[in-house]
Amino acid sequence: MSDVSIQPLTILAERLRRSEVFSDLEEEDLVAIAEFCREENHREDDIIMVEDELADTLFIVERGKLALEKKIQIGRHSTPRNATIGYVGPGKIAGFSTLAWPQTYSTSVVCVEPSRLIAVDGQALRQYLDTHPRAGLLVMNHLATLISYRYRQSINTLTYFLSIVSHELRSPLAAIENYLQTMDGGYAGDLNEKQKRMVQRCILRVADLRILIGDVVDLARMRPEQIQTDFEWFDPSEVSAESLEDTRLTAAEKDIHIKIELPSRFEPIVGARRRMRQVITNLVNNAMKFAPAGSQVTLSMRYEPEALIIEVLDEGAGIPPDDLPHIFTDFYRASNVGDAVGLGLGLSIAKKIVDAHEGDILVKNLKDENGDISGTAFTVIIPRDLKTPEMRRREWM
Amino acid sequence: MSERKPYILVVDDDPDILDGILMILESQPYRLGFARDGKQCMESIAKDIPDLLILDLLMPRMDGWGVIREMRSEPRFSRVPIMVLTTVIEDASRRRYELETGMSMDVQDYVQKPTKPVDLLKRVEKLLAKVHV
Repeated sequence: MSDVSIQPLTILAERLRRSEVFSDLEEEDLVAIAEFCREENHREDDIIMVEDELADTLFIVERGKLALEKKIQIGRHSTPRNATIGYVGPGKIAGFSTLAWPQTYSTSVVCVEPSRLIAVDGQALRQYLDTHPRAGLLVMNHLATLISYRYRQSINTLTYFLSIVSHELRSPLAAIENYLQTMDGGYAGDLNEKQKRMVQRCILRVADLRILIGDVVDLARMRPEQIQTDFEWFDPSEVSAESLEDTRLTAAEKDIHIKIELPSRFEPIVGARRRMRQVITNLVNNAMKFAPAGSQVTLSMRYEPEALIIEVLDEGAGIPPDDLPHIFTDFYRASNVGDAVGLGLGLSIAKKIVDAHEGDILVKNLKDENGDISGTAFTVIIPRDLKTPEMRRREWM
Repeated sequence: MSERKPYILVVDDDPDILDGILMILESQPYRLGFARDGKQCMESIAKDIPDLLILDLLMPRMDGWGVIREMRSEPRFSRVPIMVLTTVIEDASRRRYELETGMSMDVQDYVQKPTKPVDLLKRVEKLLAKVHV
């Protein structure tokens, strides 16, 4: 519940000035805005605004503290929960969406302690700022600063959260995998046939989970500008050799022959070396996931005048045509993957990396002479005119 | 002296990892010791210098980077081979060490957890062989 008190305009105007968003405004603007403001007192746990509802009021905190909350729902069927993403104290505002399209609140806001707020009528404020461009510009400037600050803060929180989560999740998994490997190796006594098979399945599933956690963290951290800062000169043949090393064990376990086709000498190219290795490794791993035992996966790399072309071919069952447009989507699993374990993050990671290189990643099914599907071909195209950060800096000088 | 068993000190704060690693190493004729954090590790090394140190990085009290730093600045321990065994990615780890100390991380092997027992034993053997040469 709130009680509303009427204040003389000049007092309210003075209070408005103490808020960061109105601090630069002239006296006359503040008095005019004060006309459509009211003061409200709220108790702890009062809900001030609800996420996604029409944003019709901007709030300025005079005293107390508000929590910004966001609805979080994991999966379509779980119950949504509210997570606190930040706090707002005296002088700060809540409900900036009132001034920004599409005018729906981006968060819910709850009082965490008894608070005194100034509620500014959104529609009246928008009209005033429309007709008083100077005041409008000043307020918008503050708003832009505030939004960019909140944006940076949320990215930092996310990155921090992910690094903690990833370590916290990976450590117990490493311990479990370590024990399983110890048992599988017979270092804790002999296992019978059935036990050994189960332990080996456990190792596969746990390893998969560990890789998935790594992928999720990677995916969330993977912003183009971040990848581009790692651009350097590298020799593509070295990267393909490293990827081969990454995939060697799986290939041996699945009895898949990896054939490499490279020119005898490779000119260096600019790109994010470690990330390109990830692209090739992911594509080869993906090819092996669906390839039958005893089959061949071909990795070829060559230069065309303007691009590096990387191709990965397999002799698997191909990808159902309906799935083709979606396979680079996060967590997408083609409908014919059957028992193959793992969520489909490898391809979406590959696509994000290729996109950051301003390149292209294409997929098609291969057909034999009878027109039947005989495998899948992934093609990556990386332009040869990318620049390292140093090269870009020199261009500006 | 050729009969002397090589002494390996394993340092990890996770009791299960420690247990598993020791179980694998017990299959070989090694003398084994363990510590649960960097401080314990340094205390143990001061009493008995190992032929090989297997070291986790993220640990309470003193982390693995701290152990490497102390060992490499103390002449008595500076030549003990170190195998880092951790969930931390090698690039990130080396970068962190370089940023903190201005020196490159002087370790003889870097293994990302979890590792296959056969791989681990091979790498341990290789590091110990170098010591005896």
